[in-house]
Amino acid sequence: MSNSEVNISRRSFVEKSATAAAALSIAPGVFLHTVAEAKPAEQAVTSAVRWGMLIDTTKCASGCTACVSACNTENGIASHNRPRTDQQWIRKVTLRDKQTKHEISLPMMCQHCESPPCVDVCPTGASFKRKDGIVLVDRHICIGCRYCMMACPYKARSFAHETVDNTVDYVPRGKGTVESCTLCVHRVDEGGTPACVEACAEAEHGAMIFGDIKNPESEISRQLVEHGGKQIRADLGLNTGVRYRGI
Amino acid sequence: MQQLNKCMHNTLITIAGLAMLAFSVFAVSNFAWAGEKPSFAPDVPHPTNGSTECVQPEDEMKKNHMNYILHQRDETMHNGIRTETYSLKKCINCHVPKNTTARFGDDEHFCSSCHNFTGVSIDCFQCHMDRPMGEKPLGKSPHNAQISKPVPTKVAGTSIENTEGASNNE
Ligand code: SF4
Ligand code: SF4
Repeated sequence: MSNSEVNISRRSFVEKSATAAAALSIAPGVFLHTVAEAKPAEQAVTSAVRWGMLIDTTKCASGCTACVSACNTENGIASHNRPRTDQQWIRKVTLRDKQTKHEISLPMMCQHCESPPCVDVCPTGASFKRKDGIVLVDRHICIGCRYCMMACPYKARSFAHETVDNTVDYVPRGKGTVESCTLCVHRVDEGGTPACVEACAEAEHGAMIFGDIKNPESEISRQLVEHGGKQIRADLGLNTGVRYRGI
Repeated sequence: MQQLNKCMHNTLITIAGLAMLAFSVFAVSNFAWAGEKPSFAPDVPHPTNGSTECVQPEDEMKKNHMNYILHQRDETMHNGIRTETYSLKKCINCHVPKNTTARFGDDEHFCSSCHNFTGVSIDCFQCHMDRPMGEKPLGKSPHNAQISKPVPTKVAGTSIENTEGASNNE
């Protein structure tokens, strides 16, 4: 994605009222954490939850790729030394304001749209959205036509051109199908946090928060209330599950 | 008349032969694991973890394992139901020895031992692992205590530098 393409919409956003934020936070920077309960394995996901992410670009360090490496390790993504066709679920993007020369670094991955264009165009039903908002490719059904890759405004999807021989048993991946960030669904279903979020915290940047944006008690919801969270290309009206601060 | 009788006699012998053959095939499928396996039947490896019972009776699994796995596949993929009983991962973890060198396609591999014999090709293992995943050092997160981590041979290093974005759109 070229920088000019990520032309962040500067449309006015409804600023959350300061009073609402004050009511929810106990003290500056102190939040009531609700520990995510792992859902029982036999329980289906529901729309009572919507998983999302809030990325604070003011904390995201330019040059740091901890999230990218963690994603590759977690999901067994290996390079074939062909950058144009290597699979890529998350990448670092630098936005540069042409006028001020101010640069912002941010991780870009599937935005887990509420109205995902990739799902709209898929002729087989392979590209789908789970009830809890996670957008996935069912590789059992995917025919590799790549319509979804063209439809995605964020260039979030990759095609597996090569035989994948280092899959891990919790992320089966294979040649001839399309793939993208799963929000580490195998972790989330067990009450875990996506690998990138964990790595960002371990690298002491803490720029990424993951959680249930439908639960007003979750940290992500509190932060969203307090600081807001912008969508990239909000003009498309996709209501993305991944939101950004500082853009 | 005698000619006709002889002809009928031959036919009867043929039918009896076919019936015996059919029975022996039936017997193979029933007694393969009971040590009464005829020499031409496939060597289906036993589970190596000492367990003697499958998640359903053996006959049921022989006939319908694919239906159980297919059902579970959709439940897991679309509804996030991650019960183990009928998951392909569970089949593999139980039936394929941890440090085996047998890969899917080899006669020694649990799945292909029979699939080779019956000539039924499957594509499960173009994506799924055909052997249990080895244990790896655990990470910090409590989550990692449940899922062992892989050590990939190579991690995409070229693409991560590329803030212009590698375009995987060909
Ligand atoms: S970001 Fe792209 S791949 Fe992800 S849900 Fe939206 S359209 Fe689909
Ligand atoms: S590549 Fe697969 S997921 Fe994408 S539109 Fe085609 S069938 Fe659907």
